Amino acid sequence: MNWQGILEFARGPLFYAALLIFVGGMMYRLVSVIGLGWGKDRVPVKGSKAGGVVKSFLKGILIWPFIPWVKGTFSRNPLIYIGGGLFHLGLFVVLLLGAPHVLVWKSLLGFGWPTLPLPIVDWLAAAGIAAMLLLLINRLAHPVLRLISGPAEYFAWLLVFLPMVTGYMMTHHLWFPYEELFSLHMLSVDALLIWIPLSRISHFMFYFFARAIHGQEFGKRGVAV
Amino acid sequence: MSATAQAIQTFVHETGGWVASQLEACTRCGMCAEACHFYQATGNPEYAPVWKMELLRRAYEQRFTLFGGIKASLGLDKRITDEDISHWSELNYYACTVCNKCSMVCPMGIDIGSLLHEMRAGLAAADMVPADLAAAVTKQVNEGSPLGMTDKVWDQRLEWVADEWEVDIPRDVKGAHTLVVFSSIEVMKFPTNIAAIAKVLNKAGVSWTVSSKAREIVNFGFYEGSEEHTKLFLSRVLEGAKELGVKRIVVTECGHAYDALRWHAANLLPEANSFDIIHITGVLGELVGSGAIKLKPGAFDNDGTITFHDACKIQRKGGHVQEPRDILKILAPNSFKEMTPNREESICCGGGGGVIAIKAADEQRYAAFELKIKQVNSVGAKTVTMTCSNCRLQYTDSVEHFKLDWKVTGLAQMVADALVE
Repeated sequence: MNWQGILEFARGPLFYAALLIFVGGMMYRLVSVIGLGWGKDRVPVKGSKAGGVVKSFLKGILIWPFIPWVKGTFSRNPLIYIGGGLFHLGLFVVLLLGAPHVLVWKSLLGFGWPTLPLPIVDWLAAAGIAAMLLLLINRLAHPVLRLISGPAEYFAWLLVFLPMVTGYMMTHHLWFPYEELFSLHMLSVDALLIWIPLSRISHFMFYFFARAIHGQEFGKRGVAV
Repeated sequence: MSATAQAIQTFVHETGGWVASQLEACTRCGMCAEACHFYQATGNPEYAPVWKMELLRRAYEQRFTLFGGIKASLGLDKRITDEDISHWSELNYYACTVCNKCSMVCPMGIDIGSLLHEMRAGLAAADMVPADLAAAVTKQVNEGSPLGMTDKVWDQRLEWVADEWEVDIPRDVKGAHTLVVFSSIEVMKFPTNIAAIAKVLNKAGVSWTVSSKAREIVNFGFYEGSEEHTKLFLSRVLEGAKELGVKRIVVTECGHAYDALRWHAANLLPEANSFDIIHITGVLGELVGSGAIKLKPGAFDNDGTITFHDACKIQRKGGHVQEPRDILKILAPNSFKEMTPNREESICCGGGGGVIAIKAADEQRYAAFELKIKQVNSVGAKTVTMTCSNCRLQYTDSVEHFKLDWKVTGLAQMVADALVE
């Protein structure tokens, strides 16, 4: 098969299959966790559970990642805060506001939305890639991170890194013919989509559970989250 | 059944959706390490909270997730062994106070403390509780108290306190509104606290009593993580309360006892909901706020700088964060200074969670206390006050160990000393 053929397969049938596996796999994960059952909490509340949940999300989504000094631990973990923040920012801006990706969304959903100018997206993509490298070095160097990381962590890193770096190379026509890069980009995206439900990359879904539980527990006790 | 199988079975049994969803949310970023006072003090990477709950994760993934099972059978994830159980017993009981500071920094918001409690449940089921702690539990099962406070000792000590400080301590009063249950730490080591609380309640005209049946609030079953023992000790308190027909149970200056009775009892023993359960700090706040007792303003303003130690189970996990501040602003408006970090972000004393009861954990415990030394010294405080006798025990012991010239006291004590007669 030539590159043209690989590309057509990777952005065609394989992409749709990967999307299906991704959605189906995540649904399965969700159902299997919820299916484990939730005990009823009979403890009388002191504060407000709902209030705690709202505050937990507001702080978690709006304040915490972007105003590091709200938590004293920033100074002890600056690299993970900045690296982790930049990586997520770069990833989501490129994925949701980069012109080529919005075209993909449009073809999938039937509608699109305005995009950000290329230079902004481009710089954020570069920052995201640099942050990933930084985080990898840190994971290899930090005693705690080395201890808690196994093959699954490094493999997940690689599967997230490949689409980002091939995408960046495509945009800048670096080193390889465009068609080859595009094929590699699509193949790595497909691999990532399939791997997400099987790995910790699925944390984005369970984030909402953990935050809600945290907010509820602290709200119940009338303690600031 | 082998110890390991017993532990795994407990992990699996305890794994509801709330445990699973939180384990699944962990990205292994490692930030919780820096929140842990034991990690901060020693730099031992194994003290990272995420690593302390590693066995819970393994048990969950290998039993409940499709891929986890495959990974384990391919040798990509380790099975839990007897050596693991004994190793993690040390990590969890020597170097964790279940203070839950780690959950304050987790970017995913995972309530790590409650997962670490589940870790203890598995270790306790495997009979892997450190010997000192296990002996204290057995003592509480048999004698009603881990500190040797038998019926007779309790009786004599309370009588002595009543005589010595000339306070009335109403006993087994049927129909009293409030049952006060002291901890054996107070009865045996800080008797002035009992006199102080009695004096305050009498002054405020509270209808209260102690119970010879519900005489020990301490719950070492909760420390070890055994649900069976936790329930047994909780039920003794609840039965005593029921017998006297009280409306409210007041937990005195004891942190984990409050955590167990206020925030867990109702889910273990539904009858707990027949009573209002409150910590003495909340009562003091109410009495001062409503004017039922009056305090001499500035009573402690001439004793040098005073700082307040937030207890993990009473402030961060208990919610009584504001009352001590309000009271200290009356007692020492000029000399009260806050440590940093404080309130729900405070650093734990290092002695909670049963750590202080384990001789082999002294090294870790004193190392963690060095963080408190830094904190207290940086505000230049000569007096440290708190609302938890377990913290107070850790402070008094460490003050002696490190030869510090601080005065260690309790909030109830200060309130009693500043009462307007």
